Amino acid sequence: MSAIDISPPAPSQARAKKISARIWSEAFSSIEFRIGLIVFALLVAAAGLYPWISDIDPTKMNIRGKLSPPVMMGEGWSWAHPLGTDQLGRDMLARTLVGLRYSLLIGISTTILMVAVGAMVGLFAGYFGKRIDTILMRLTDAQLSVPMIILAITILGVSRPTIPSIILVLGLAGWPVYARVMRSTVMAERKKEFVRGAMVLGATDWRIMFTLLLPLVLPPIMFVAVLDIARMMIFESVLGFLGLGVQPPTPTFGNIIADGRKYLMNAWWIATMPGVFLVLTLTSVNLMGASLERARNKIYAGA
Amino acid sequence: MSLVRYLARRLAQGALIVFLVSALIFTLLRVVPGDPVRLMAGGMAPEALIEEIAADMGLRDPIYVQFGRYVAGILQGDLGQSFVRPANGAAVGGASFDDSTRGERAKVWSLIANSAPMTLQLALLAMIFALVIALPIGVWGGLRPGAWPDRFALYISSVFVSLPNFWLGIVLALLLSVKLQLVPAIGYNGFAYTILPAFVLAIEIAPFIIRTLTVSVAGVMSQSFIDIAAVRGLTRNQIVFRHVMKNSAVPLLNLLGVQFSMLLGGVLVIEFIFDYPGLGLLTINAVMQRDFPLIQGIAIVTAAAFVLINIVVDLAATTIDPRLEY
Repeated sequence: MSAIDISPPAPSQARAKKISARIWSEAFSSIEFRIGLIVFALLVAAAGLYPWISDIDPTKMNIRGKLSPPVMMGEGWSWAHPLGTDQLGRDMLARTLVGLRYSLLIGISTTILMVAVGAMVGLFAGYFGKRIDTILMRLTDAQLSVPMIILAITILGVSRPTIPSIILVLGLAGWPVYARVMRSTVMAERKKEFVRGAMVLGATDWRIMFTLLLPLVLPPIMFVAVLDIARMMIFESVLGFLGLGVQPPTPTFGNIIADGRKYLMNAWWIATMPGVFLVLTLTSVNLMGASLERARNKIYAGA
Repeated sequence: MSLVRYLARRLAQGALIVFLVSALIFTLLRVVPGDPVRLMAGGMAPEALIEEIAADMGLRDPIYVQFGRYVAGILQGDLGQSFVRPANGAAVGGASFDDSTRGERAKVWSLIANSAPMTLQLALLAMIFALVIALPIGVWGGLRPGAWPDRFALYISSVFVSLPNFWLGIVLALLLSVKLQLVPAIGYNGFAYTILPAFVLAIEIAPFIIRTLTVSVAGVMSQSFIDIAAVRGLTRNQIVFRHVMKNSAVPLLNLLGVQFSMLLGGVLVIEFIFDYPGLGLLTINAVMQRDFPLIQGIAIVTAAAFVLINIVVDLAATTIDPRLEY
C-alpha cells in the first residue's frame, strides 16, 4: 500500500465483492479446502438423498433384527443395514443420516442467528459510538462473562427443549464475539471518505449503515462464521447427549450416542458409528472454515 | 493508573457482573414451569403438605422478596441449602414425603467446596497435557509459516476440534479402559482416574493453543528485533527460547481467560461421562433434579471465578509484557 492514496474511493459494494472473490479463490486454491468441500458435499448429498433412495424408516423397529453389527464387523451382518441396527432393530445408517440433517439444520440456523444479532449490535455500537457504544459493549462484556453453558443447560433442562428453543439458546450464547469484530471494523470504515461523502450528500444514518457499511463489512465476517457452524453442531450433539436436545424418537447424533452408551459392551457400533459420521462432517466443515479464515487473514494482511 | 485503583475498578465491575448473573438465573429459575417442592416432597405428598413446606421455605413470597433474601444471604457467605441433597451424602430427590431418614439438607457452599478441588485437579492435569501436545506443534508451525509444519498444525487442530468430547470419551474408555485395561475410567478411586478425562479435555483445548501459538510465533518472528538478535550472534535456539516464547506467552494467557467458559463446558460433559465427582457432574445433577439453590450457587461461583481469572490474566500479562498498561 502506498503512503498516499490518491485514487477515488471505490463504491463499497464493488470493493467488498472484489475482496470476497479474492478470499474465495485463495481458499479454493488450497488442498484442505477442496478435501473439506468434497467430503462435506458427499455427506450432505447422502443426508439429503437417502430418504428418496431407501425406504427404510429410521424409527421403524424390528426386534428380531436387533443389534446386528455393521458390514463385515462381526456375526450376522447384512447389506440391508450397512451400519448395523440398534437395540430396537432400527437401521443405524438411516438414523445417522437423519441425525446429520438435524445437526446441519441447527448448526447453520444457529450460526445465522448469532451472526445476525452480533452484526446488528456491532453495527449500531460502531456507527453511533458514544453512549450507545458504551451501553452495547458493556452488555457484550457482561454476556461474555456469564457461564453460558450453565445458562443453556439450565434453560433447556427446566423447560422442554424444542428445535426453535435450542436454536435460540445457542444463538444467543454466541453473538458477543461477532458484535466485537463488527464494531471495530465499522468504526474503522466509518471514518473513511466514502462514508463522509455520503453524509455530505445528505444520506440518512440508516441508509449509510445498511447500504454502505453492512455489505462492506459483513462478508469477511461470514467467512469466519463457517468455523462456528461446526462449533454449534458440536453443541447440538452435546445437548442431545445430555438429553436436552431434540427429543426422541427423532434421532440426533447426541441421543443416538447416549442410547448406544448403554449397549457399549455388546454393541459398540451404536455409540461409535454415528460419531464417525459426526467427526467426518465436523472435520470437513472445520477444514473449509480454517482455510477460509487463513485466506481472509492473508488477503487483509496484504491489502 | 495505579495498581490499587485498577484493581478496585475491575473488582467493582466484576461484582456488578456477578450480581447481574445471579439476578438473571434467579428470575429464570422462578418463571419456568414445574414446582420444585413437588419434587422434594415426592409425588404422593398431599397438597396441603406441599403448600406448608413451600410457605415454610419462603417459596410463595414475591420474587423480589425471595431475591432480596437470597442476596442478603450471599453477602454473609451463605448460598443457601440444596433442595434435594441431605447433608450426609447421596441425593434422595423424589423420596417419600414422610421419610424419617432424611436429615438436614446439605449446604450449597459445602457441596461446591467439596467438588471444586476435584475439578481443579482435572483442569490442571488437562492443561498440562494440552500444553505438552500443543507447544511443539504450535511453535514449530509458527516458525515455518506456509511450510508443512504449519499445514500439519492446521490439519491436526482441525481434526482435534472436530472430535466431540463425549464421543471421544466413550471411544477412549472403550479402547483404553475396557479392551486394553490401561487406565481406569469410570468413577473416582485415586489419581489414576483423572488421567483419561484430563486427556479428553486436553484434546479439546489443544487446538486453540496451537492456533494462537502459530499465529503469535509467526508474528513475533517477522519483527525486526528477531533479525537484530541474529545479527547480535544469538543462535536460533536462543532466539526461539528467549525472545519468541516470551513474547508469545501473552496471547496464550489471554486465550486462557477467554476460553474459560469453553473449558467449563468441556468439564461438564467429561465429568458426566466418566462419572467424575467434580463441579461439572454436580451441575448436571443439579439441573436434572431441579435443585434450584445449587444451580444458582454454581452459576454465581463460576461467574465470580471467571471474573477473577480474567483479572489475574490481565495482571500477569502486564508483568510479562511491560508495554501493556492497566
